[in-house]
Amino acid sequence: MIRPMTLPFIVLGLATFALVAWYSRVVGMQLGNPAIVTGYTLFVLMILLGLFNMRKRLSMVPVGRSSLWLAFHVVAGVLAIAMFWLHTGALWPTGLYEQVLAALFYLVSITGIFGYLILRALPRRLTQTGIEVIYERIPAELGEIRDKVEALTLECTEKTGSDTVAQHYIGTLNWFFRRPRFGFSHIVGGDAAGHWLRGPGSAARRYLNDVEKGYFDQILELGTLKTQIDRHYACQDLMKKWLLLHVPLSISVILLSVWHLLLVNVYAL
Amino acid sequence: MARPQRWSTPFGEEMTDGDVESLLKRPDIAAIEADNFPKHTPLSGVLRNDTRIVRYRSGDIVVREGDYGNSAFLVMNGSLRVVLAPELPQNLLGRQVAREKGFFEALAQLWTNSRVPEVRDISRYESQGLRGGVDSANARVFLQDVPAVLDEHRTAKLEDGALFGELAALGRVPRTATIFAEEDATLLEIRWQGLRELRKYDEGWRRMIDQRYRENALKAHLQESVMFSRLDEESLQAVADKVLFETYGSFDWNVAFQRQRQSGSGKEPIIARQGEYPDGVLMIRAGFARVSVKHGNGERTLTYLGAGNSFGLGELYSAWKNPDIQEMALHTSLSALGYVDILRVPAPVLEEHVFPFMEPPTSTTMDIAGTPVADDALMEWAVEERFVNATRAMVIDLERCVRCDDCVRACASTHGGNPRFRRHGRTFDNMMVANACMHCADPVCMIGCPTGAIHRSVEHGTVIINDITCIGCATCANSCPYSNIAMVAIRNQDGETITDPDSGKPIFKATKCDFCEGQPGGPACVRACPHDALKRVHFQELNPSETAQ
Repeated sequence: MIRPMTLPFIVLGLATFALVAWYSRVVGMQLGNPAIVTGYTLFVLMILLGLFNMRKRLSMVPVGRSSLWLAFHVVAGVLAIAMFWLHTGALWPTGLYEQVLAALFYLVSITGIFGYLILRALPRRLTQTGIEVIYERIPAELGEIRDKVEALTLECTEKTGSDTVAQHYIGTLNWFFRRPRFGFSHIVGGDAAGHWLRGPGSAARRYLNDVEKGYFDQILELGTLKTQIDRHYACQDLMKKWLLLHVPLSISVILLSVWHLLLVNVYAL
Repeated sequence: MARPQRWSTPFGEEMTDGDVESLLKRPDIAAIEADNFPKHTPLSGVLRNDTRIVRYRSGDIVVREGDYGNSAFLVMNGSLRVVLAPELPQNLLGRQVAREKGFFEALAQLWTNSRVPEVRDISRYESQGLRGGVDSANARVFLQDVPAVLDEHRTAKLEDGALFGELAALGRVPRTATIFAEEDATLLEIRWQGLRELRKYDEGWRRMIDQRYRENALKAHLQESVMFSRLDEESLQAVADKVLFETYGSFDWNVAFQRQRQSGSGKEPIIARQGEYPDGVLMIRAGFARVSVKHGNGERTLTYLGAGNSFGLGELYSAWKNPDIQEMALHTSLSALGYVDILRVPAPVLEEHVFPFMEPPTSTTMDIAGTPVADDALMEWAVEERFVNATRAMVIDLERCVRCDDCVRACASTHGGNPRFRRHGRTFDNMMVANACMHCADPVCMIGCPTGAIHRSVEHGTVIINDITCIGCATCANSCPYSNIAMVAIRNQDGETITDPDSGKPIFKATKCDFCEGQPGGPACVRACPHDALKRVHFQELNPSETAQ
C-alpha cells in the first residue's frame, strides 16, 4: 500500500516526467538534441538520489525527516528508470561504454527495487517470531544456546549413563547448532528449519527412555528458539547487506555518468 | 537469612541513641504524644530510623523548586531562607541552562565528536558550585554569593522549629520553593515513612500537615477538576473543609516493581472494591491507579487513572438521581499502581454542592467492559508494565522497523558519539517500548538526587541531567524502574578514562535520553527513521479508553 506521504512525490514525479518528455519533444522538433534535456534531468535525479545517503550522516541537523527523504528516493528512483529509457530511446544502448553504464544502472535499479521489497516484507516476518534480537548480539545468543545444549547433553549422559543423546548431538544436532542454518528458507518464509528439527533432528527420540526424553525435549526447545534467532539473522543480514551492493553501484553509476557527461560535452556538442 | 524488617535500613546510619534522647527533649518533638504510637512503631524508633541530622553550611541549597523529594525538614538550629520572588536562575540551582544550538553549531558535531565515547572537557567541572564530594548524603550545590542573592530576591526566613517540604514528600509533587542555608544550620530530615507515621499517630502533626495542605494547595487542586470548577468561593471552601487525604502504596514503588518484574508476582493495594458501598468520590492527586472489574477468575483492567482523574462519581450521581434504588455499589475496583495520593470527597458534600448543578456523566468505565477483552490487551499490558507513566516513550513499530539502527546512530551523533538509548525493550504485538527515558509523569529517578542534577527542563518539561553537577552516585539509575539510565565512565580529550585522584577509580556520570534538549529540530531518533517506525508517545495516545470516567 502506498503511504500518504509518498503521494505528493508521485504526483510531482509524474508531472516532471510529462514536462521533460514534452520539452524534449519540442527540442527535437526544433532540430535540437532531446537527449541533452533528458540526460541532464537524469543526472540531476541521480545526484538527488545519492543525497539520501548523505542525509543519513546529517541526523544532527534539521534537514527534513528521513522518511520523507526515503519517499522521495523511491519515487525519484522509479522516475530515473523512466528517464533512462526516455534518454536512451531503447532498453539497451549500442556503445560499449554506454552498455557498461546501462548495465550498472540496471543493477542499481534492480538492487533498489529488491531492497524496497525486502524492507517492506521482512520486518513483519521478524515480528511474527515473537522475539527480538539485536543483530550484533546474535552470535553471542547462538553461542549461549549451544553451550546450554552441550551442558544438557553432558548432564543427560552423566545422569542416565547412556550416550545416545550425546551421539545424536555429535552426529546430527551439532551441525544445526554450530552456526545459523536454513537462511534462504527463513528469507522466503519457509519452515525448513522446523521440518529438519522434526525429522533428522528428532530421529534419536525413539531410542530414548523417559529421563533422556526429558533432556532431549529441552534440547529441541532450544532448537526452536535457535530457529527463531536464525530467522532474525537471515532477514536482518539481508536487510543490511543489500546496501553493500546498492550503494557502491550507485556511486559507480554517478562517476561513470560524470565521465559520460564530459565526453558528451567535449565531443558531441 | 532473616526477613528484612521495616527498619532494617535506617535513614541515617549515624543516628545514635544520644541523638534520639536530645531530639525527644526538643519542645516540638516533646509535644508529640509518644503513647499514641503502637509498640511495633514507637516514636523513638521513628526518630532513630526514619530521620537523620543533616548539617548545611552557609549558602548550601537544601531543596530546589521543581525537585521531587521523599523527605521533609525540621530546622533544629541556624536560619534558612525561602526564595519567594524572583526565582533563582537555573544555573545557580545546579541545573542545565537550555540553549538551542544553531544550524552550523549542530552540524559541527559531524567533525567535533570524538572517536572515543563520553569525552568531557574537564575544565567545565571547575566552576561547578559543588561541595561535599561524591557521597550522595553530603554533596551539595551551594550559592557562592549569599548577600547578592538576598539583595536581588525577596526571601522569607525559616528558623528553629520550622517544618518544610512535607507536602512534596507526602504528596509526591514537586517542591514549590527553593530553600537555602543563610548561615550554618542543622536540620532534622524526616523520610516520608517517618512523616507518614507522625501524621498517622500524632493528632498535632496530622492537624498541622493537613491544615497546611488545605491552606496552600487544596483549593487549587479542586478547582482543576471539572466537578468543582463552577463552585463559588464559599462552596469551594465548604468542600475543601470536608475533603479527606489518603495515600496508598509505597513511595518507593519502583523497588517493589523491579522485584515484581523479576518474580512475576505482586499485590496492589486496593483503594476501593467492586460491590462495596461508595462513600465519596476519589480524586487522584498524584500517582496512578488501576480500574478493574471481575472477569472470569481474574481482574480485567478497564482503564487507569492519573492525577486529576476521579473514581466513583457515576455510581454516586446515579444513586443521588434515583433515590428509590436500594442497592448502590461500585461497579469496578480501584487499586494503587505504586504510590497514589487520593482526595476523598464525601458523598454528602457532593450532594449538597455539586450534584444539583452537574450535568449527568456521559460515560462510565463500565462502557469499556462491553468490548472484547482483546481490544484492551494493549492497555492491560501498558498498565502491567507501568508504561502509563510515560510521557515520551520510544515506541517502535516492529512491522515497519528494518533494524537498520539509523535511530541509534542519529542519537550517538547528537550525543558525543554514544547513544543514549538501547533499541531493545519490552514488546507487545508489533510494538516495542525501547530502553529510552520515557520522561515519566511520576519521575522516581528525580527523588534523592543530592545535587538536583537530574531535573525537569523548565522550557520543555523533559527530564534531563546536568552533567556538570552530576556526582555519579547512581541514585537515579538505581531508582529508574525501567533501567533507562546508564552510568558511563567519562574520558578526557585524549580518550583516557578520568579517575578520582584519591581512590584511583573511574569517574562516572549518569546519562539518558534528553529528548535532544538543545538540538535543533527535535529528537534525532524520530527524524532519522526512514520508515516512520519510531515515535515518541504519551501512553494516553495509545489508550483509546482513557477518556472514560
